[in-house]
Amino acid sequence: MEPATQGVTFGSVVIEAILGVLTLLIVLGFVTYAIYFERKVIGWMQGRPGPNRVGPFGLLQTVADVLKLLIKEDTIPKKADRPLFILAPALTFVPAFTVLATIPYTSKWIPADLNVGLLYYVALSSISTMGILLGGWASNNKYALLGGMRSTAQMISYEVPLVISVVGVVLMSGSLNLSTIVEGQAGYFWNWNFLPQILGFGIFVIAAVSELNRTPFDLPEAESELVAGYHVEYSGFRFAFFMLSEYVYMYAIAGLTTVLFLGGWHAPFPFLDFIPGIIWFVLKFCLVIFTLYWLRATMPRIRIDQLMSLGWKVLLPLSLVNVFITAVVMEFMK
Amino acid sequence: MIRTEEMLLNVGPQHPSTHGVFRVVVKLDGEQIIHADPVMGYLHRGTEKLAENLNYTQIIPYTDRMDYVSAMTNNYVLVHAVETLLELEIPERAEYLRLIVMELQRVASHLVWWGTYLLDIGAMSPFLYAFREREMIIDLFNELCGARLTYFYMRVGGVKWDAPEGWIDKVKAFVAHMKEKLGEYHNLVSGNEIFLARIKGVGRYDAQTAIDYGLSGANLRCTGVDWDLRKSQPYSLYDRFDFDVITRTEGDCLARYEIRLEEIRQSLRILDQALEQFPEEGEIMGKVPRVIRPPKGEAYVAIESPRGEIGCHLVSEGKAEPYRLKFRRPSFVNLQILPKLLVGESMTNLITILGGIDIVVGEVDA
Amino acid sequence: MKGIAKGLGVTLKTMTQKKVTYKYPDVPLEMPNRFRGVQHFEPDKCIVCNQCVRICPTECITLTGKPNPDPEKKGKVIDTYDINFEICILCDLCTEVCPTEAIVMTNNFELATYSRDDLFKNMEWLDDNNTNVRLENSTNPQAKKGAK
Ligand code: SF4
Ligand code: SF4
Repeated sequence: MEPATQGVTFGSVVIEAILGVLTLLIVLGFVTYAIYFERKVIGWMQGRPGPNRVGPFGLLQTVADVLKLLIKEDTIPKKADRPLFILAPALTFVPAFTVLATIPYTSKWIPADLNVGLLYYVALSSISTMGILLGGWASNNKYALLGGMRSTAQMISYEVPLVISVVGVVLMSGSLNLSTIVEGQAGYFWNWNFLPQILGFGIFVIAAVSELNRTPFDLPEAESELVAGYHVEYSGFRFAFFMLSEYVYMYAIAGLTTVLFLGGWHAPFPFLDFIPGIIWFVLKFCLVIFTLYWLRATMPRIRIDQLMSLGWKVLLPLSLVNVFITAVVMEFMK
Repeated sequence: MIRTEEMLLNVGPQHPSTHGVFRVVVKLDGEQIIHADPVMGYLHRGTEKLAENLNYTQIIPYTDRMDYVSAMTNNYVLVHAVETLLELEIPERAEYLRLIVMELQRVASHLVWWGTYLLDIGAMSPFLYAFREREMIIDLFNELCGARLTYFYMRVGGVKWDAPEGWIDKVKAFVAHMKEKLGEYHNLVSGNEIFLARIKGVGRYDAQTAIDYGLSGANLRCTGVDWDLRKSQPYSLYDRFDFDVITRTEGDCLARYEIRLEEIRQSLRILDQALEQFPEEGEIMGKVPRVIRPPKGEAYVAIESPRGEIGCHLVSEGKAEPYRLKFRRPSFVNLQILPKLLVGESMTNLITILGGIDIVVGEVDA
Repeated sequence: MKGIAKGLGVTLKTMTQKKVTYKYPDVPLEMPNRFRGVQHFEPDKCIVCNQCVRICPTECITLTGKPNPDPEKKGKVIDTYDINFEICILCDLCTEVCPTEAIVMTNNFELATYSRDDLFKNMEWLDDNNTNVRLENSTNPQAKKGAK
């Protein structure tokens, strides 16, 4: 064997595997504390202290919740479509986790530096929709079915403007490689894409929140209408998987927003460069996450027909206009 | 060929947005409702029948449990009916106390409505904000009569407790606080574009339909009918106060929303005046016989509860127990328009419309 | 967008404000004195007049009397006295009518148990429940009429 030319040795496989597990652990840790902080932040915004019973400051609350989910009885409804019912959570979770590979945290730390990183992200993330639809369908529950259908309609409609809104960014940096896109935003904070691409940024944020199924676009779950939507029949660890993939996507979208529009690991001013890039990344990342929580604490839920018309009649044309304007401006600036 | 099928969906009795145990059986075509059938009675306790074996004082705690969000007005409608039959004179101080607690109750009830309605629509914070302020009212009531929800405060002829020391000042402080918070509520919700888009034009009906269905309260006033029993048939001391009856002409959920929030402001106005005029001292109990035996006869009284016209029809045969006691429960009457409003709407609007009617299941089922 | 921005402002402002929740159960809740909690019963004061049983709207009081052991005295003394807290609605009527204030309200409200049987409280339990006794009892507004 000639490992050097192939680049794959037994050793490198092990390292990759270890890195993979490490990422999984980081993500799990993130999800645990993302849920904790979500409940804390929303609690504060509502004049409550939030979870504070398990562990100091309630820090172990989510751990306890997850533990509860894991030791819960695993129920599958009698009339459910068994294989699909079992497949659905996995189908939702696996793509959620794999898309994380492309996010560049710093100029050095890039789990997978793909040339088509952005495309990879978009392509894989849409597989999750299928899991949700399957889950809703296989449960053989009317609420779940409605939730699953809504979810599919919503995710498909918002994926289109989401992708087109980032085309502007791609045009500006001339690459689909995420780390190249970040490199193109070096310098002062007005070089970050969110200012030159303000329209694209706005569309991206709205479409991203919708992709995440979070308030004000949380229609698939809409607990006041559909009880819990597509996962109403799930319990125990299968439910945990849905929950997990939802938060992993939050992680992914926050990472993507940071990378595409907020300059990734770059400091807002070059003289602040002595602070390591990862800190900047984490700061921006947290800001995005906090905004998501903040929206959730404030917004009512949008109606399904209005959601659809917003997606197709407003966001899609606007994102096309954005691409057009970007192209024209780029042409003249040359 | 695509084969489509109607779907029968049971919304409730265990459903987060039916405000208790109420059930609607809807026939769905996709997400569109083509037929709706409300099913009620899960919380039926037979209050009216029970009352036939209880004396008048004993019935009052049962009225607390009818519309448990607005126990004070329920208390009042019963004692008012008995007093009308007895032709009793109520001391002024007692009447002021009654009026103050009723208006506070109206504020509390509208707050609960506001919070839960927004919760139905998907916003979580307003619920907690509303309950934060409602808690203050409940604390005031707790101090006054020793209970937080089922007050049992009014008695035939007066009220059970006089205001404790400093209570009136606390109410004054609350009224000032509430006025300020009301602005915050408007900032938080009333301007929100998503919210407006969701409820504007939803569940619309006109004045004639509203009258035909016997609607009352905000459900009637949202169509432009100027009908508030506090003004049109003044009871208690309402003719002494200066306040406006809020009406809108749109007849949709947004109109009902605006009316209820504006009514909070009007209640605060009434409270302001009532607290000013509150007599320094006086009796809190009229001259009531030891055993209450209203003379043979009938009386119907109606008052404006936060949900609409709550009426009490009392038939007495001169005994200590009523021969028949009938409550006209506004939640029950207002609910009757639901099947009509739901046809052609989507699942989402079901929640918006049902919430907009403002029912309390305890009162629907009594 | 203006409305949404205003709303975001309100939530952000609330985030910095003081929390309004009670620290219960870490800090016990103080109820105002008039609070109608679980009754306290003093067997010695009771004259077995049965008024509380008759007024109770839910018929949750059961009592039995026995002849006074002291042959000098007339009347009865209480033998058993039970309140069924499954159906007691804490309406205050029993304490209102009791002529001797044998049954009075306390401000204790913690009744939750794992079994419904535990909600059936007997005389001993009610006698031991003697903390936070309400100051104003027997304020039957009708009886006090004109007395002020
Ligand atoms: S409080 Fe009311 S329900 Fe309870 S025992 Fe006394 S009279 Fe009966
Ligand atoms: S009313 Fe008082 S004295 Fe009479 S039986 Fe009841 S507790 Fe005893």
